[in-house]
Amino acid sequence: MPNGREQAQVQAPTARQQGSMQVVMIGLGDEKFALDAGLVREIIDPVPATKVAGAKAFVPSVINVRGNVIPLADLRIRFGMPITDDSADTRIVVIELDIDNEPVLVGVMADKVYEVTEISQTDVQPTPRVGMHWKPEFIRFITKWREEFVIVPSMERILN
Amino acid sequence: MSSIDPTEVFRQEAAELFETLEGALLDLCQRPDDRELVDSAFRALHTIKGSGAMFGFDKVAAFTHEFETAFELVRKGEIKPTQALISVALAAKDYIRALIEAPESTDSIIGDAILDDLKQFVALPGTAAEPGQSAPMPQAPAARPAAHAGWRLYLEFDSHILCNGSNPLDLLDDLCKLGSCFAVPVIDGIPMLEELEPDHCYLKWDVTLHSDCGRAAIDDVFMFVQDEMKLTLAPLATQAEAAAPEVALQIEPLEAATVAEVAPAVEAAPARATEAAAKAPAAAEQRRDEPKRNEGIATVRVQAERLDELMDRVGELVIAQARLTQLAAAGSDLSIKMIAEEIERLAASLRDTTMGARMVPIGSLFGRFRRLVHDLSRDLAKPVEFVTSGEDTELDKTMIECLADPLVHLIRNAIDHGIEDSPRRAAAGKTENGRIELTAVHSGAQVLVTVKDNGGGLNTARIRAKAEEQGLIAPGATLSDHEIHQFLFHPGFSTAPTISALSGRGVGMDVVKRTIENMRGTIDLATRPGQGTTVTLRLPLTLAIIEGLLIRVGGGRYIIPLSAVEECVELMPEHQRSRGRNFLNVRGNLVPFLKLRELLQVPGSPELHQKTIIISTGESRVGLVADQIIGNHQTVIKSLSKLHSDVTIFSGAAILGDGTAALILDVAQLVAAAQAQSEKQIYEAA
Repeated sequence: MPNGREQAQVQAPTARQQGSMQVVMIGLGDEKFALDAGLVREIIDPVPATKVAGAKAFVPSVINVRGNVIPLADLRIRFGMPITDDSADTRIVVIELDIDNEPVLVGVMADKVYEVTEISQTDVQPTPRVGMHWKPEFIRFITKWREEFVIVPSMERILN
Repeated sequence: MSSIDPTEVFRQEAAELFETLEGALLDLCQRPDDRELVDSAFRALHTIKGSGAMFGFDKVAAFTHEFETAFELVRKGEIKPTQALISVALAAKDYIRALIEAPESTDSIIGDAILDDLKQFVALPGTAAEPGQSAPMPQAPAARPAAHAGWRLYLEFDSHILCNGSNPLDLLDDLCKLGSCFAVPVIDGIPMLEELEPDHCYLKWDVTLHSDCGRAAIDDVFMFVQDEMKLTLAPLATQAEAAAPEVALQIEPLEAATVAEVAPAVEAAPARATEAAAKAPAAAEQRRDEPKRNEGIATVRVQAERLDELMDRVGELVIAQARLTQLAAAGSDLSIKMIAEEIERLAASLRDTTMGARMVPIGSLFGRFRRLVHDLSRDLAKPVEFVTSGEDTELDKTMIECLADPLVHLIRNAIDHGIEDSPRRAAAGKTENGRIELTAVHSGAQVLVTVKDNGGGLNTARIRAKAEEQGLIAPGATLSDHEIHQFLFHPGFSTAPTISALSGRGVGMDVVKRTIENMRGTIDLATRPGQGTTVTLRLPLTLAIIEGLLIRVGGGRYIIPLSAVEECVELMPEHQRSRGRNFLNVRGNLVPFLKLRELLQVPGSPELHQKTIIISTGESRVGLVADQIIGNHQTVIKSLSKLHSDVTIFSGAAILGDGTAALILDVAQLVAAAQAQSEKQIYEAA
């Protein structure tokens, strides 16, 4: 269960009505992740990335987005998923995060971007302790969307 | 515009005026006879008073008024500005500044004390002043216009003066306060009714002023409009002579008012006479006005963030333009090519202009140090002559701000440690006055800022002893003088036996070094025992743009700051084969090299014809091996985000013509990283 502080954070900018949250649904490998739409700045087509030698594995490169050089994060590495080649569906979701109290733009690789939708927070499922090969702190909560379980990742923790 | 806080505008304006005032006061120390300086100090003071009252800083206005009154005697030439008087004046200036910036925390007792001091100097010039000062006193009354009964003025205002909100009638009222005043309007400039512009001022005035006031008092009245008017001034010769034309004038305007046709002819005569009589002073007046007009080049205050934003946008434009050029070159459409070329030219000049807008002459910074030197030299009882040159050298605004602290440290060090005290200077056969030179010059794409003193120079032996004592070097290690001097920049390093209020904590030089390195600059230290020390700061022209060498390693492109590059040489195949020794023979000198492929973790085997770029980091020269040298690249620096703050070998990124990002190598960090790596390898092998 997410703790109270997080709940408040979620609801402040995005909640339209009690218990719902606007998200951008992205696909990574076989999984679906829901990114808080309040964080998302734009979604762009893949651009050539520049590798940064010596950088942390999950932020291996930088890209140019409208004249700003921003890091490109690959969540698949963080979640231990296999890396596949870019396809026609591959997109970069540019999100804005607070890192050490400073707003930072980060590009996130997505194998596919489905849609902007609303998910209900009343359907929140507790993150199971077993049957998951992901670090529980990376997951804010798991919820149900169209009879499917989707993961709402905690981007701050993943990228810090 | 209503969103701008008017008091903030006043504060900004006052800050500039304080600079002028302080500059003028300090200059007066050296050239006490310069009337122009007194006038400029007075003008600044007067404006502070005026705008202070306007924006509700009543305390400021009241105090400045007192200050001004006291200073008035200096302005009239009745007392000479002595060192002591200027010190009090500077204290007064500081107090006014405090009144404006932090009105709550200032105490009027301080102000009263300053005023008392000030009054002591000015109220009793005969007794309190030094004997030398009494000399001008008897002359002063003679020079003053007491002999004649007043002034004859001819006022000709700019026809647009009303548009600026100035009211000539108010000025005439002010004039009346100086003494009995008789003003006659000259109406020959008034056009026919249909040509009359309601917002133009067509009237001129012929004024006879009976007063024993000085010329200065009259100038005062017109201080704010003197650029928009012609003031012709002549003393009334004697009472009797003055009386005659006055009577005539008194009648004439009455007629003129009724018989407009006749008026010009009658009116012109006395006006012309006055003008002729006043030709000499008028010429002087105009000459005085000339430099002021040059100063009045229109300036606009712009927030620094807006300039930064503009620079960013221009950076993007340059990148987009480069892509367009690339596309156009690939195609065969001639007209597109022409447009691309046109845009390229425009973008380049737009970039230069934008960069230019961020450039500020370094003189504004130098001005601040004159006060520092003045105060330090007084506190330490070391007479110091402070010379600056190259004030008009331009630097990026942010750099000028960053430079302030390091220069304070360097100048303090120069006075405190560099310049010897008077007895020691005398013993060494030097002039009594120490000398500190602060200069700035352009040198290629760099600016050199130099602080030079003629003191005792660095004591290399003592620095060495201290370094050994602190365990920084092994006793007896062979080090060049240059290497020993580098310890001065070590944090916590100080050779001063005691910690004084000024220095000795060993913090200063460390701060200097770090600040300068953050600006991608370097520090050179040169010293000659007994003759002084010269510290040279080498700085790039701007922080935002870097001149770099674009290279390719594998599939990635990187930029090496051109300032670090010394030369490029081909890497011979025999060097590539050798595994144990990675060094080159460059004209008889041994230069180690680093393979960028290994450092940047580029997979695959190196290409044929590897190139080596020889860079200098501090004293040592290192070669960097790359696959290809693409060429010069001028680019806008983008810093890396927090997520990459653990990567030290890159100082930032730049966007290339095709829109991809290229990383800028931080050569010093790169060499340090390679050093750590090879040490580890040696350790593991052993």
